Amino acid sequence: MKRIYILLFLFLFLILEGVAINFLPSSIVLGDKMFVPHWILIVLILIEMFFDRGNSYNALIYALIFGLLIDIVYTGILGVYMFSYGIVIYMVHVSKKFLHGNFFVTLLFSILGLVVSDLLITFIYDLVGVITFSWQHYWLNRLLPTVLLNIVFFIIIYFLLVKRFNKWGSELSWD
Amino acid sequence: MPFFRNKRLLIFLIGFIVLVALIGYSLRDRENVTIAEQIINDTVGWVQNIVHVPVTFFTNIFTNIDDIKNTYSENQVLREQLGEYKGLIYEVQELKDENKELRDQLELTESDLLRDFRTIPAIVISRSPERWLDEVTINRGKQHGVRKNMVVRTAEGMVGKIQTVQQYTSKVQLLTGFDQFNRISAMISRDKGKDIFGMVEGFDKETGTLMFRIIKESDKNIKKDELVVSSGMGGVFPAGIVIGKVKDVVPDKYGLTRTALVEPAADLYDINHVMVLDRDATETDVGEEEEE
Repeated sequence: MKRIYILLFLFLFLILEGVAINFLPSSIVLGDKMFVPHWILIVLILIEMFFDRGNSYNALIYALIFGLLIDIVYTGILGVYMFSYGIVIYMVHVSKKFLHGNFFVTLLFSILGLVVSDLLITFIYDLVGVITFSWQHYWLNRLLPTVLLNIVFFIIIYFLLVKRFNKWGSELSWD
Repeated sequence: MPFFRNKRLLIFLIGFIVLVALIGYSLRDRENVTIAEQIINDTVGWVQNIVHVPVTFFTNIFTNIDDIKNTYSENQVLREQLGEYKGLIYEVQELKDENKELRDQLELTESDLLRDFRTIPAIVISRSPERWLDEVTINRGKQHGVRKNMVVRTAEGMVGKIQTVQQYTSKVQLLTGFDQFNRISAMISRDKGKDIFGMVEGFDKETGTLMFRIIKESDKNIKKDELVVSSGMGGVFPAGIVIGKVKDVVPDKYGLTRTALVEPAADLYDINHVMVLDRDATETDVGEEEEE
């Protein structure tokens, strides 16, 4: 049952990403800065840090499923988000054993995860020739605004969801 | 444990192969998306349809406050313009009749077909968060008569073309996401057959303008604020749809041709209601026969 709640949460954010641009004032959107919501990734990192216990791979499976869904619904180029999100969640899965899960560690993981996933996505798109752009332009106009936007989202969502995830995680029996 | 290490490596490699296969599959020039993709897109689109209503209501509150501030001054201007419009309506009606008569005399049916289209009104229900590929989803699909490559416009002008069609939703490639594979044949209208023809070849993110490469220059002096409209010659888009206004003219990097920077007429960031243009039924029949 708890797992269904989590899937519903992720689905909700999948939908909200599509209307995210409406929430920003148009003066920001009209500029050449690109704000890309990676809300699903943030929620996935929270699930990995606080819901998953021990060696379970729930978050990784969700990352693959919802990465593919983003690909299907929003980009039409399959596999890119699936691969990037999968790699990031796996990296968090490995490194969470060394660091205790508190706010600052999760924030650090989120920033690193955002940078890695956005770099991977851009790199793959560039590699297959879907987009043309200059890397110089990329750092300031896409990566920085994107990370900042998602960190704001992270801070809001952290205090709303972490306790809930923790509770659900401890109520479940992990075999 | 070497066994686990190998297993991990194996999974990573398999993942990589799956990635390459999936990308290769989706980049292929596919006519239709798979049924699974269609079902997922339509299901998500259905939920987006529901979510869209309260979200736009909420965000509209803020824009409405801005609008109310400007209402009075706008009203004054509009009142003045309204008087002019009445005169214009008669004029347009007369010109239309005259045009039709003259066309009938000349038996010009072909160029008339280029301007005939049916419109399918639609609402934008979501916008792709991936800003590299500017795509929006609209709530009309195959069941409503939308087909691939149809032009999508707002009241102000062209916004893009249909990229993929599902049963109940479809995705629109916006002008900002156009590249060299999505050209629009366009022209700047001048009198006496001195029209300037060219291609809209893509969007320049840095200046925020479309690049209109001029093929044939009959008149060298392109002025600022001249209207660029689609010419209907590519066979994909109907003629006479406003694309944008000329902002500047620059020589291209080889100095052989010149490129006009065109500011899109439609607001590409705040799109809500759009129209999908379905070219005349006879025209599509011809197109289908050609394909076969």
